[in-house]
Order: sequence, then C-alpha cells, then structure tokens
Amino acid sequence: MTEAEAIRLAQAGNAAAFEFLYQLHGRRVYALCLRMVGNPADAEDLMQEAFLQLFRKIATFRGESAFSTWLHRMTVNVVLMRLRKKSLPTDSLEETMEPDAENSGPKRDVGAPDLRLAGAVDRVNLERSIEQLPPGYRTVFVLHDVQGYEHNEIADIMGCSVGNSKSQLHKARTRLRELLQEEIRQQAREERKAAKTPTGSLE
Amino acid sequence: MHCKELESVLEAEGLAQLSKDARLHLATCGACQGYVADLNTIITAAKTLPTEVNPPDRIWISLRAQLEAEGLIKEPVEVAERFSWWEGFGAWLKPRTLAAATVAAFVLATAIYVTRVPRNNPPEAAKNQPRVETLSPAQTQAGVSVQPSSVPPANSGPSPAPVPSKNNKELAPSPSESASFTLDQAELDVPNMQLAGNSQVDIALRQNLRTLNAFIAECELHLKQNPQDELAREYLNTAYQQKADLLAAMMEGGRGDN
Repeated sequence: MTEAEAIRLAQAGNAAAFEFLYQLHGRRVYALCLRMVGNPADAEDLMQEAFLQLFRKIATFRGESAFSTWLHRMTVNVVLMRLRKKSLPTDSLEETMEPDAENSGPKRDVGAPDLRLAGAVDRVNLERSIEQLPPGYRTVFVLHDVQGYEHNEIADIMGCSVGNSKSQLHKARTRLRELLQEEIRQQAREERKAAKTPTGSLE
Repeated sequence: MHCKELESVLEAEGLAQLSKDARLHLATCGACQGYVADLNTIITAAKTLPTEVNPPDRIWISLRAQLEAEGLIKEPVEVAERFSWWEGFGAWLKPRTLAAATVAAFVLATAIYVTRVPRNNPPEAAKNQPRVETLSPAQTQAGVSVQPSSVPPANSGPSPAPVPSKNNKELAPSPSESASFTLDQAELDVPNMQLAGNSQVDIALRQNLRTLNAFIAECELHLKQNPQDELAREYLNTAYQQKADLLAAMMEGGRGDN
C-alpha cells in the first residue's frame, strides 16, 4: 500500500489504512512531541491528540501540501496549544515567535572570552539544554537541526515567514550555546570541588 | 565588518554560505571564529539525535478505540484482516528462536523423506529421468565411461529428489517447488502415525498445520500472479521451513507414543 492509497482508503474509513498512516509517521511525530515537552506521558497524550485531529480532518486533505507537512503542522499546533495552556512564566511564546529589535532574544557578549564547546557536547547535555529552550526556539531547532526540515517547510508548519524561521533558528542555537557553556562550567565547578575534597573524608 | 554585523548576517542567512566580507572578518576575529565553531558543534551534535522514537503500543490501541467510537472507521475489516493476517504471519515467522529450530528441522524433514522414498513407488515422472549408472571399482580402473541408462543399477543409493513434471522436456523444478513436494510427501506420513492422542498440543499442532498450509497456498498463488514479489517469496520459503519444523514436531510426538 502506498501513502496516497492509504490516504484515499482512510478517507473512506478503512481501518487498515489508518493504521498504515499511523505506522508510517508515528515514530517521527512521537520523537517531535517528546522533544517538545520532555516527558513521555505528555508526549503520548499529544501524539494521540495530533493523530485524532488528523484522522478527523483527513477527508479535507486535498494534497496541496505533503501529507507529512500537514501532519507535522497539526502536531506542532497541538503541542504549542498545550504549552500555551500550561503558560509557564519563563516561556513567552510571543517573544520567541515575533522578531523584535528590542527583545530579539539572546545576545552574544561580543569580545568576552568564550568557553569552547568542541568535544564537550554530548547527546545528554544537548537534550537537556533543548528542554530549557523557549517553546518557539525549541520547535524551530528541533524541526530544522534535528528532524531536517527546510525553512520553507518550517514556515509552512508554523505559519510564519522563512525569514522568521531563520531568525528563530539562529537565536535558538545561540541560546543553546549559552546553556551548554553554563552546563560545562557547572560540571567543571563540581569536578574541582570533588578534587579538593580530602581523600577519605565523608561527603 | 564588525562582530555585530557578522551576527546579523548569521541570523539572516545561516552558516551555510557566508559572504566574502563575513569570511574576511572570521579570518581575523578569534571570538567570532569560536562562536561559529560552537554553532557548528551544536549543529553536528543535533544531527546525531534520533529523528524517530518508537511510541508505546497502547497509543494505537487507544487511538483506534477512539476512531471506532467516533465512527471514523466505517468499512468492515475483511480487507484489513487479509492485509494484517499477511503482516501478522510475517511477524509470527520472524522470531529468532523459531528460525534457529527450523534449520535443524528442515534437515530432519529432508532426511525423513530421503529414507522414506525407497519404500514407496517413485513418482511416474522420475522413471523417465535418465539415471547415472554407478561404476564398480573395476570399471573405474578400466576407465569405463558412464552412460545414461534407463535401468537403475542394482545397488544404487537413494535416487535424487523426483521431478514432479509430466514432460522430460520441461525445465527442472525451482527450489521452492522441490521443497513444497518434499514437505507434501512428508506430510503424507503424519496421518499414518499415532500422534499424541487428542491432547491440546496435538490439536494445536494440527490446527497450525492447516493454517500454515493455507498460508503456503496463498503465497504460491500470489507468486504465480506476481513472480517479482521478493517479499512474498521470502515469506514462502520461511513458511516451508516452518512446516518442516512443525512436521518434525508432530512426527516426534507420534514416535514417542509407539
């Protein structure tokens, strides 16, 4: 069965076609949800909600865009809606989605000595840092640098311009750099502290 | 170009293709070199993150229940069952434990057939096949060449697998056809042997054999219509191996009760 056939059959209510589409796209959708919310329980809820919305609206799909783009758009909307409802004080969606010369996100401290990341970034600390990004930055970064979407696709998914997508991506990367540098400094502090502890002392 | 200008360029255009001015600035500014290097480190690390993660099975189960409850699943599942039965059988055939057992069982089934053949009349087609006369040591030393003969030598060993073809001019059977014939012959012995009574194991084994035969028949029919379908061919070959395993298990149970 091809994807196009499965879509046609699903529009007619065929159970196997629904399952085929779920199996075809489910792993990427789940990975996206998991990275966006950081915990499996919420990711499962969001994934189910995204597919429910997809299957409820599948009769309206006309093929103007790629099916995966349409699905990921729904997924991102579902995730951002959930994050908006949670409305954490530190996460400002408006700040991250609208380019603003006054509040244009993280600024690089030009001229200051920087801690180099080469050789110090691993999967664990990168994932941890991604979780700390504001939702808008996180979405663009995950879609582009992790999932491999192009800016025009991200613009389509998120309903923004290509320029905005590029800007948000750059800010996301700059912010990640700050988070990773802080994490590496924190690790170095802990190692120095541990090294100073006399041998045999109880800590 | 200054550092802030470089940052604006990076924000607008990314890291892929930098302008000449940007590259000139990078060549002379250590801080910006470090900055760009760090961004590249992050990009490289991000590419190593998995793009797919397996969701728990319960998500689909719950989702499907919701789709049925909302009436979004409308059609009966006949086509779906046929599709999923094929897929489900493929999953049944995959476990490594079964695969490990089938290799030995296939050898056993072939050995059973080979030792059984001299007790039965060879198939009609096999009589028409040319047989190679076995040379005695004396003939070998004398350099006597072997000629095809229609009369089988007295002390010939077990004959090769008989060819289930009606016409000598037809091509030799494919490995699949030979395997199918071998297994069908072995299966003839099963009803003649005293199996393990009417135990649940015995009933299950017979049921499995019926299911397997139906699947093999479907695969063979499908392959006749779609000879290029390699997946179906793989399933068929694996099904033959499973049948050999099953027949071996059934015969083992029968011999145990004799």
